[in-house]
Amino acid sequence: MQRARNGSGISPSQRIYRLVQNRPGIILSPLSLGLLLVLWELVSRAELVAPIILPPPTRVWDGLVILFTAPWFAQHVWLTTAETLSGFAIGGVGAILLGIAMVNMPLFKEVVYPYVVAFQVMPKVVLAPIFITWFGLGIESKIVMAIAISFFPVVINTVVGLESVEENAMLLMRSLVASRQQIFWKLAWPAALPSIFAGLKTSLTLALIGALVAEFVTANEGLGTLIITFSFELKVYLVFAVIIVVSVLGLALYGIMEYLDRKVVFWRRSHFTG
Amino acid sequence: MLSTASRQKQSSAGARADPIEIENVGKVFRTRLGTVEVEALRDVSFSVSPGQFVSFVGPSGCGKSTLLKLIGGLIEPSCGRITVGGVDVKGPRRDIGMMFQTPVLFPWRTVLENVLLPIEVFGFDRRSAIERARYILRLVGLEEREHAYPYELSGGMQQRAALSRVLIIDPQIILMDEPFGAIDEFTRERLNLELLRIWEERGQTIIFVTHSIVEAVFLADRVVVMGTAPGCVLSVVDVPLPRPRSIELMKSPDFAGIVFGVREYLGVAR
Repeated sequence: MQRARNGSGISPSQRIYRLVQNRPGIILSPLSLGLLLVLWELVSRAELVAPIILPPPTRVWDGLVILFTAPWFAQHVWLTTAETLSGFAIGGVGAILLGIAMVNMPLFKEVVYPYVVAFQVMPKVVLAPIFITWFGLGIESKIVMAIAISFFPVVINTVVGLESVEENAMLLMRSLVASRQQIFWKLAWPAALPSIFAGLKTSLTLALIGALVAEFVTANEGLGTLIITFSFELKVYLVFAVIIVVSVLGLALYGIMEYLDRKVVFWRRSHFTG
Repeated sequence: MLSTASRQKQSSAGARADPIEIENVGKVFRTRLGTVEVEALRDVSFSVSPGQFVSFVGPSGCGKSTLLKLIGGLIEPSCGRITVGGVDVKGPRRDIGMMFQTPVLFPWRTVLENVLLPIEVFGFDRRSAIERARYILRLVGLEEREHAYPYELSGGMQQRAALSRVLIIDPQIILMDEPFGAIDEFTRERLNLELLRIWEERGQTIIFVTHSIVEAVFLADRVVVMGTAPGCVLSVVDVPLPRPRSIELMKSPDFAGIVFGVREYLGVAR
């Protein structure tokens, strides 16, 4: 009876041991990070590399503490996040609408598609200075940059998704004498969602890049501005601290998209049955 | 003969079903630029009486799927005439149900929601159709899985769901394009028997495309034997075997004789 209550009858330490045995990566991957940090610390402390160029991790930690205790820091994080999300939202919705229009109007698509492809292959960062000139030093130019850089993956994925509807599913809807609207809303749109979400995931990360690049060029506020300012002041440990914050921000945004993707497109891993 | 009469007594769909007439139908596919032409069907003629179960059998490329799409109004013939109940087929009709080789279930819909899809498309009241959907799912043995998503079902169960989606609109004609072709032999035999049972109850007209001669003969009242290059009707073979049919029927010499006959027609095509 006691054994049964104990579940499978193995102690927690045994369970951990087994887990490690089955998946050594669970231990090895954080261990390697720890080793890397220790090595980095030693290299920097021994002044094999000047600490001003490569500050030790403990110094970077100090930098993080400084940032998070500073009253002005939250404002910068918020601004960059706001630029990213606004750009992503406007760009994403616009891109989906353009994609839908292209699929529904073949002639329009024929005219517009070359431009889309041309813009897609162009490194959009070159536009940042122009956007600053056009839209000023404030948040607008950053949002426009975020839109520009996050727009095209979504357009292309929307078009591809809407056009990849399985032929038999189309025949089924036609055999039911479904209207164009019904075919779109009941079949094409949900069928395209996995592809559209894949595009949105890429594009949210790109929107963050867009906002940061625009801030690099010229801005008074934002995480990109902090990186530039601290670099000029040779406070490299603070630059590293901001980079960590930016990375975590990117990771968090991606995580939210990943979560939404799993909720909305829960059938992604299954194929269209037939 | 006797069984046919008794079937017609029970049948409700059969009583209102329309005859299908196919007269000298040909179909040529052209590439978009019109440079290459492929003749899929040439001079096909036959008729299907109301409530009949007809199989199309033939090798790949004999145009049997094309013929099914023509009858379903999904494509237009290049020449000839197809009529259902004396009316030219000009496009898809809501009293004709179609089943494809793949189940074509929408992965974002549960089984029940998939079955209700035609009801939504027709603009009927979804709530009042749910009881009927459940009844049909019971009929095909899926009542336990109505809230499952398609990817949680086996291939056989998926095709049962697809069959339910056809049955919910109570079509007078069902066009089936190798519906159980991708399913293992055992499941396929069971599905065939269930299909016959449902048909004997409702008496729809069924046109069933298959590349299995045995399956074609086992199910049908008549077998349309088709040949290739271009697709054409080689022969129409009557299957005067008693109903309801059971697997034991396959042992009978009559059954074997008809199967052999069909095979001979197909041999001529080679």
